[in-house]
Amino acid sequence: MESTHVTQEQADEFAIGSLPPEVAYAVILHADTCAACRDIVGESQRAAAALVIGLRRYAPPERLKGRVLRDAGITRPGPVAWAARLLTAGAGIAAVVVAIASFAGLVSLRGQVDELRDGNAQLQTNIDGALPTKVELAALTRRLSDTEKNNADLLAAALGDRELLLALLSPDSDVADVIPVNDSVNAIGRFVWDDAQKKVWFVANKLAATQKDQTYQLWVNSGGRYISLGTFNPDAAGYARYETVVPQGLKSYESAVVTIETAGGASERSGPSVFVTDLSRIRR
Amino acid sequence: MTWQGNPDVSAARNLNTSGDTSALRQGADDFASWPDNSLMTAIVARNESAFAVLYDRYVDLVYSASLRVLGDAQLAEDATQDIFVRLWRRPESFVAERGRFVSWLMSVVRNRAVDELRARGRRRRREGGPGSEGDEETLAALPSDTDDPLSTAQLHEEQVVVRGALVCLPPDQRVALELAYFSGLTQQEIALMLHEPLGTVKTRIRLGMQKLRRSLRGQV
Repeated sequence: MESTHVTQEQADEFAIGSLPPEVAYAVILHADTCAACRDIVGESQRAAAALVIGLRRYAPPERLKGRVLRDAGITRPGPVAWAARLLTAGAGIAAVVVAIASFAGLVSLRGQVDELRDGNAQLQTNIDGALPTKVELAALTRRLSDTEKNNADLLAAALGDRELLLALLSPDSDVADVIPVNDSVNAIGRFVWDDAQKKVWFVANKLAATQKDQTYQLWVNSGGRYISLGTFNPDAAGYARYETVVPQGLKSYESAVVTIETAGGASERSGPSVFVTDLSRIRR
Repeated sequence: MTWQGNPDVSAARNLNTSGDTSALRQGADDFASWPDNSLMTAIVARNESAFAVLYDRYVDLVYSASLRVLGDAQLAEDATQDIFVRLWRRPESFVAERGRFVSWLMSVVRNRAVDELRARGRRRRREGGPGSEGDEETLAALPSDTDDPLSTAQLHEEQVVVRGALVCLPPDQRVALELAYFSGLTQQEIALMLHEPLGTVKTRIRLGMQKLRRSLRGQV
């Protein structure tokens, strides 16, 4: 057929389906490559189609279109698929609701956090407002403490003064002048020994202040050996009043001396002497 | 059968692929005026609206032809469904250069229905006189074109022309043609059925086709 053209009779038989399949296929192949034969076959097909077109027309059932579209995968799905879609949509809506609820929860939580922050800020404001009061209270407390300490010091000083006054008034006490070692020392002092109270006082005025790492130290010479009776420092006015207890077992004391020693006191007399006093005339 | 219009096939590629029938109807309105070949091009591009238009345009014809061949409404319905689904799945089987779409579609319908007929071994004799169209009992129970309007005016006009041409055919020629076309009988089988020589049958078929061609030439 490819080498020979399609006859009109072949074209007619092809159009009405009377050709054997293999010959019909050959007609198709040839017509694809031969325009003249294609026209012949086409005209025969139009004539054959007229047999159908001229038929009385019948309408198919309405349901057929739905079947065709469904089978072709075009139309909308059936109730089950719709139910699945609704479930999917429902799940989506539920997810949105959950998201909204979560968002609302977050908003609510955020509101609570904001409230807490506001409360915290107010509290901090109150704390800040109370801080000056607290500082003031601390200062007052500190001043009160200082005052109490001063009062205690004043009381102690008053007690010491009273004891010193009693010692001066006591018939059992002795008072000895202290002598500056050199003329540059303008200070004056007294050494009071109260045997009844078993106490010793050293009182001085216009006493020069020592260096920061130094202190005055009182010694008593007993049998050629200097025994420390303690250290002291004058106040800002140069006044010093030092009292101590007479060491037990001390039977003799020939003299007393005040030296300048290292702060904290020395175990042995080593510093320069400031005052000396003769204790040989005081009563035992 | 000529449809007017200015189809934009490339634009059809993106129309109505959602499967929503309302959208399908809306899109179908856009394609209603498109010629068959353009619709087929859009169908190749998987345009569902174009397919819906083509279905509406030819479903009656396909169904009627299937019913004419098979003589059974359910079988005709099944055949019609199969033909359109195949057309959607393999639209490239239509080659516009080979001829008109309606001719190709009718040959597909005829071959599909005859194959079904042969497969079921239900060869029916159809005497083929004018007005006798197969199983009269079955056909009488079905709604015909006197009940439903034609889908398009163009198709109606063509049908009028074709019917006029068929009326002009001598009965023996028309019977021979219809036995060959609708019953799938070979010319030998037709000769045996009609008790006519094979040559006579061949001549009737040849003359009948010749007259149809002449009647339809320039008309369709």
